[in-house]
Amino acid sequence: MDPILIYAVNALVYIGIFAIVALSLNAEYGYTGLANFGKVAFFMVGAYSYALLVQAGVPWPLAMALAALISSIFGLLVSLPAIRLREDYLAIVTLTFGEILRIFIKSEDWLANGVWGISIPPVFAAGDFVTGLWMNLALVFGLLVACYIFMSLLANSPFGRIMRALREDQVAADAIGKNRIVYKSQIFMIGSAMAGLGGALFANFVGYIAPESFLPIITFTIWMMVILGGPANNFGVIIGAAAVQLFERGTIILKDYVTLPIDPTNLQNILFGVIIITILMFRPSGLFKESKINTLGTRRAMRWLNPSSK
Amino acid sequence: MNWAQILFNSAVTGSLYLISAVALTLVYGLARFPNFAHAEIMALGGFIGYFVAEQLGAPMPLAFVAAFLGSGLIGYLSYRGIFKPLADRGASLIHLMVASMALGFILRHTIGEIWGFSPLTFSIVWPAFDVGPLRISLNWIILIITAVVVSVGLHFVLTKTKIGKAIRATASNPKLALSSGINTTKVMIFTWFVSAGLAGIAGLFRGVETRLSPYLGWDILLPTFAVAVLGGIGSFYGAIVAAIIIGLAENIGVVLLSQVGLSTEYRIAIPFVILIVVLIFKPQGLAKAFKGN
Repeated sequence: MDPILIYAVNALVYIGIFAIVALSLNAEYGYTGLANFGKVAFFMVGAYSYALLVQAGVPWPLAMALAALISSIFGLLVSLPAIRLREDYLAIVTLTFGEILRIFIKSEDWLANGVWGISIPPVFAAGDFVTGLWMNLALVFGLLVACYIFMSLLANSPFGRIMRALREDQVAADAIGKNRIVYKSQIFMIGSAMAGLGGALFANFVGYIAPESFLPIITFTIWMMVILGGPANNFGVIIGAAAVQLFERGTIILKDYVTLPIDPTNLQNILFGVIIITILMFRPSGLFKESKINTLGTRRAMRWLNPSSK
Repeated sequence: MNWAQILFNSAVTGSLYLISAVALTLVYGLARFPNFAHAEIMALGGFIGYFVAEQLGAPMPLAFVAAFLGSGLIGYLSYRGIFKPLADRGASLIHLMVASMALGFILRHTIGEIWGFSPLTFSIVWPAFDVGPLRISLNWIILIITAVVVSVGLHFVLTKTKIGKAIRATASNPKLALSSGINTTKVMIFTWFVSAGLAGIAGLFRGVETRLSPYLGWDILLPTFAVAVLGGIGSFYGAIVAAIIIGLAENIGVVLLSQVGLSTEYRIAIPFVILIVVLIFKPQGLAKAFKGN
């Protein structure tokens, strides 16, 4: 197969994996206004759970499901102390949790080989390398589509309206009898499960994970995908994931063709920072505006209000 | 077990957290968001000190002055260029936090571009001496004295001076402060400058004691948050007491960790555990104990 095509498929798989994680942050931050600054931790929990389960002989589809489940339990436990407080407390707790988890994996050699990392037997070992790549692409995009449909249904359901209500006005949400702590924890569990699934897919695709693969920069990259694409717009977030991935790869390719006066990795990270601040300042809604609630009821109501449209 | 040494080490750790946390909590209380770039401002202070002391060959006290002024300037610029415009446009708490994280990335990689990512060390050797069972190094003594001077100095500024009273007024009610004729922008500029400057000094202390890297502030940031939350966000006196508590807990905890055979890498988990316990049982922290604040 053409190496350029292989590179393109590889990039697409990465985009798919990070789009799933970005969708999960969109559920938490975009719709509900929860500040998860430790996204990488749940990604890491998923990746390591999957790796350890597969090594223990669990069939891979089950291992992926369990990885998502374990990650969601971690999401619940980590969020509980802070979720009833303001967003900044949650941000501090999740950020710190990510750091401690990395130190834990690094220090406990018996669990997952510490700093040396562990390799994961590939799922699609039967075929050759190229077949495996296409199979991974199919798997990742199949799950991405499933997550996208799930998120769209969720966002347009009564539950989705509660999510928005929690983001906009917590007191009002309380006043209509919605227990915000219960709802927020549920959303945090959903988000962590999806991030864990992304982690499992990542571990499966890369085939080798070590604590150093899960630095806080990943959390920041995922935030960038959501903020760039458009919070509370699932389609926009996927576009954001693609844009950020392509930008990251672009700077790596650039290194081989252009001699820059500045190190490309530094340039890339400085540009990331500048772009984020620029978006927050001039277009906080991102590239795509928040999607309107779209249900049969709202469509009928719109038609009734505005018969000339359509 | 050398308890005297543990207590002394706690005072050293606590002093570092005190300077860092007082700086963080002042801006936190006023701008009402945690500045995640605090870590990189600390690292910047360390590198400015390195530039002055090692690359220019100036004496160490000058390095501390430069670290304070240089980091303070960055604090001022980030308020003027990023956080004030964002706040004026009505940015949410989460947006401000994300922006501060973005600023952190810009600073970290700018530092990395200038000085590189491989660790640097100061060539200065501090005289060390034994006092009874204690092993003491001069830079620790200076750190403790600095922490005391910062606490007493800021206490004086906050209670006795006009700008200090304006800071307290703005922190407790920005709109009321503005309508009673306080120039809140000036108050913010002053606070951002002093806070970033103190962060720079904390970073330089850390740098001379260990090694310099663009990630230097990251190790202090997490305990700093624990101190700020335990003290009660925005509470100056709370932060002082909390810094001493966390300094003690960390040093005693490390001894216990090694006794039960756990890695001392978990040292960072001790403030985290305290943070979680505080959030569960007393999220307002110690601030209530300091009503006069």
